[in-house]
Amino acid sequence: MTGSEPAVAARQSASGAIYDLGYQGYDGPRLGRRAAVATLFWASLRAAFALGRSGRAKIVPWGITALLLIPAGVTVAIASLSPRAPAAFDYDNFLFNLSTLIAIFVAAQAPELVSSDQRNRVLSLYFSHALERTDYALAKLAALTAAIFLITLAPMLLLFLGRVLLAADVVEAFGDELGQLPQVIGAPLIYAIPLAAFSLAIAAFTPRRAYATGAIIAVFLVGAAMAGILGDATSGPLRDLSQLANAFVPLDGTRDWLVGDPIPDSPVSRMDYPMWVFGAEALAVTLISAAATVWRYRGVEA
Amino acid sequence: MPLIEARALTKRYGSHVTALDGLTLDVEPGIIGLVGANGAGKSTFLKILLGLLQPTSGGASVLGLDVTRQGPDIRQYVGYLPEHDCLPPDLSATEFVTHMGRMAGLPAGAARERTAEVLRHVGLYEERYRPIGGYSTGMKQRVKLAQALVHDPKLLLLDEPTNGLDPAGRDEMLGLVKRTGTEFGIATVVASHLLGEIERVCTFLLAIDNGKLLRAAPIASFTERTGTLGVEVEEGADALAARLVERGLDARVEGRTVLVDVPDERPYDMVRDAVADMGLALVRMEQRRHRLEDLFRADEEGAA
Repeated sequence: MTGSEPAVAARQSASGAIYDLGYQGYDGPRLGRRAAVATLFWASLRAAFALGRSGRAKIVPWGITALLLIPAGVTVAIASLSPRAPAAFDYDNFLFNLSTLIAIFVAAQAPELVSSDQRNRVLSLYFSHALERTDYALAKLAALTAAIFLITLAPMLLLFLGRVLLAADVVEAFGDELGQLPQVIGAPLIYAIPLAAFSLAIAAFTPRRAYATGAIIAVFLVGAAMAGILGDATSGPLRDLSQLANAFVPLDGTRDWLVGDPIPDSPVSRMDYPMWVFGAEALAVTLISAAATVWRYRGVEA
Repeated sequence: MPLIEARALTKRYGSHVTALDGLTLDVEPGIIGLVGANGAGKSTFLKILLGLLQPTSGGASVLGLDVTRQGPDIRQYVGYLPEHDCLPPDLSATEFVTHMGRMAGLPAGAARERTAEVLRHVGLYEERYRPIGGYSTGMKQRVKLAQALVHDPKLLLLDEPTNGLDPAGRDEMLGLVKRTGTEFGIATVVASHLLGEIERVCTFLLAIDNGKLLRAAPIASFTERTGTLGVEVEEGADALAARLVERGLDARVEGRTVLVDVPDERPYDMVRDAVADMGLALVRMEQRRHRLEDLFRADEEGAA
């Protein structure tokens, strides 16, 4: 606050007299477009966790984070008390089994990042600063991806650290668990990128936050429900195809394909597709969604 | 280098609406009034200058930078106050203006210092830590001005800065605009449909109508003496005018006032003598000045 210090000094020494210093210009550096994009990214990431916002806004992001951490903590605790007991959650099935919580986080926080800017027409101020419309879309996408990555990485890391630190021989346990690290980090990343792209594409198309949240929830839940019903009612190729309606199936398939093993809880293991199909679906959804978001912001009135 | 340069600047929306129609102008630094009726193309012009809208044809430059190719470079040095609401209700003025300062490329520390500076300048004190959602319209307009000033722009574009303000709020906002333009030396374009406001704060006037440039000249040239004498009498204005015409003067009646052209000193004595001879009750004699309204009135008459 170097600019205001002389004012304070003058005020004290002159016993109440306030000197108007006049207007001070700014001759310092202007960091330009990249700094603007970075600022928008960090501000949006903070907004995803309601940092600096009211307590009410923190309920969903921190509540979901807690709900994701509890099963991981319980799993670790049980494993340390009775090492022989079968664990309900492991690295491979953790995210898929708790996908409803992840869906709620995404549905609540994707609109949090973008709806208000459109509804309150803050966009016109963003676009009149040193960034381009595409920069705005990509910074928001990166921030939402980072937020989903963080909330999914946290329980995976808790599982990892719990197993290492609570083991009888920490060094040996670390060596054993090290091989799981690609899955610990990779699975959250595989979930975060398509989920962020897809939910942001929906949220970008309406200034109404409630509509966006409703639409995202609907796609996840209705898709999962349809996949469940059709999975029971049909068989063969039709059943396999119907499972792709569950947004989390391609994510689990991609995880299985790239960093993990099949899990019995997921329809993926019962499907007759080569594993790359899931990766291709996840990639296609990501690219189409990101393109739709960028297209939307290039054209949206500001 | 002119502040703003436009060459045959044209913007069409679809095939029917022409917002700007071959606008060509050069603007030098100062407080520039951009005046025109609603829908005359003022906002479109400002948005093109910011690089927010692409012109259909023609081109323009701001601070020597091309608006179609150097949008981000221009926007680092331009502050923009939109006509409409543009503030997030859940942030405080301090948080929001700091954020916008950083969006304009200021380092974090500088953004905080500049925010304190500009909020003081626009007259927001304790309330700057409260969420903007609870502000009055006047306070919101001040925040909008503060965010436009936070990065110490070389050019300010203000779109209807007194929109929605009561008369006292208008006075304060116009005072701020004038101070910003004169004391800080920041070149300013004020778009307004209210001629009176433009007249009060601006040094140069651009009048546009239907996307075309109507006039571009210093304000002084609009309000300079016209060489017309207004002679107001209790009654007998018609008779007085007839007498003066008889004596070879160019005189016409406007209500109770006789307007007399005064190319030299001679008419003053003749008016005095005529009024005295006829025994009329003289109310006042005054030099007439052009008002900005005449600019549009003359144009309407020309069109009619």
